[in-house]
Amino acid sequence: MSNHLIPKTPQWWKKPDIKKTAILWAICTLVIGFVGVEFHVRNMVRPASETMSGVISLMRIFTWAAAPVAGLVGAMCLTALTTKRHYGDNPPPDADHEIANSPRAVGLWIVVSSFLCLFALIAGFIVIQKDSAELLSSDAIQLNVTGQQWVWTIDYPNGARSQDLYLPVNKPVVFHVTSVDVKHSFWIVQMGVKIDANPGYTTETAVTPNKIGVFDLRCAELCGLLHAYMQTKVHVVSQADYDAWLNNHAAIEKGA
Amino acid sequence: MNKRILGALATVVIGAGVIAGIGTYVAAAKNDSSVLVATPAGTLDTPQGNLPHATLAISVYPDSSAGTHGKDGGAHPGYVTYGPSTNFEVPAHSVITITVTNYDSGESLNNDYFAHVRGTIDGSAQLNGERMTSISSDAVGHTFTIHGLAVGQDELFVSVPMKAVAEENIPETGFTSKPNITSFTFITGSAGEYVWNCEYPCGDGTIAKFGAAMSTMGYMSGHFTVKG
Repeated sequence: MSNHLIPKTPQWWKKPDIKKTAILWAICTLVIGFVGVEFHVRNMVRPASETMSGVISLMRIFTWAAAPVAGLVGAMCLTALTTKRHYGDNPPPDADHEIANSPRAVGLWIVVSSFLCLFALIAGFIVIQKDSAELLSSDAIQLNVTGQQWVWTIDYPNGARSQDLYLPVNKPVVFHVTSVDVKHSFWIVQMGVKIDANPGYTTETAVTPNKIGVFDLRCAELCGLLHAYMQTKVHVVSQADYDAWLNNHAAIEKGA
Repeated sequence: MNKRILGALATVVIGAGVIAGIGTYVAAAKNDSSVLVATPAGTLDTPQGNLPHATLAISVYPDSSAGTHGKDGGAHPGYVTYGPSTNFEVPAHSVITITVTNYDSGESLNNDYFAHVRGTIDGSAQLNGERMTSISSDAVGHTFTIHGLAVGQDELFVSVPMKAVAEENIPETGFTSKPNITSFTFITGSAGEYVWNCEYPCGDGTIAKFGAAMSTMGYMSGHFTVKG
């Protein structure tokens, strides 16, 4: 029997289903990436520190990195729903495709997933490493932060104390955070700073605010009855205004 | 109508009914639904000018037999409580004077920040007729600390310590005849919803004595409404 009598099977990437899936994959990737970045990331707070800018950039990169994965799943679902739908009481005939039990396909999927996870890990470490550098800054302001149901208190180096947070712009600040009752979480929303406040322990985090304005300090750990009200304002001011506020509050504290 | 559509509609209606039922139950289960409205008291000169003045008179009792919980003390007769209500309403852009009569004893604060008077006019209060800006952190019975959401409304933070009644003045039954009376005055901003709570650890049951009365609305915490 001559070979030309055998019906020729098209190569797998030339099959209509594959072509359709590939087109849908590209469309889904673009839609998911665009929606994820433009609607999700853009709706995040306006950054007030390099740390928060880094977090937002990371979210943008991660969203685009995840978009092809989500897009492929979506494209395969759409292809299956539109061209592989089976009606009737009998089960469909066995699927005829090359990917089933294919070591090559499994291996490819593991390698791609591993690279994506590794990428996310390394990119995250790079952002964290930038934050850690501020902890070591010799000219950083050292503040003690105490969480308590349901108020924050801040102790400044010169003896001033407050329940709202005052910071000078463009100067690194190290927060030494603890709690006197249950677990809380110290979170400056617009600066991308969040760390647990644990009773009996002191945790540390740092940030350099780079915008003057009023921002939000919240508790990010469900801590009891009035947890939702455990929030206060962060005032980022010029160095001169900060010094004036600090001296005034230290004098008030000494006089009290 | 298609059975499927009817089924979907029935599911939505039943779901909404269940959620409404839970909401109604939770709202009815509040320990203190009463509101104490500040009494107008003319005007008062303040650093911000002459402002409308209103007053509130409240007390702290060592148990719940007084105030809104009734003579039997309600669901938790052993809980320390503020009264006659734990929900307050004061006018906006006004000067408010709150007088607290404390019948309870106390011990040490776990954060001496709250031993100081904060957020009042000139940072002081009157304790039994004498001006004070702080009391020893190991002589605090309770605090009255107002705070609120950080966004969408004016900042209002007022915290005043209440001096504890000496143990020797606490009778076996009933309330002491020598309560400590603390009076403090502050200025409200625009309308807003705030909360207040005691920062002295006077509850039980969880770490640092912040359980029981401290973790149940209507005893040592409540709502503080600034009405425009």
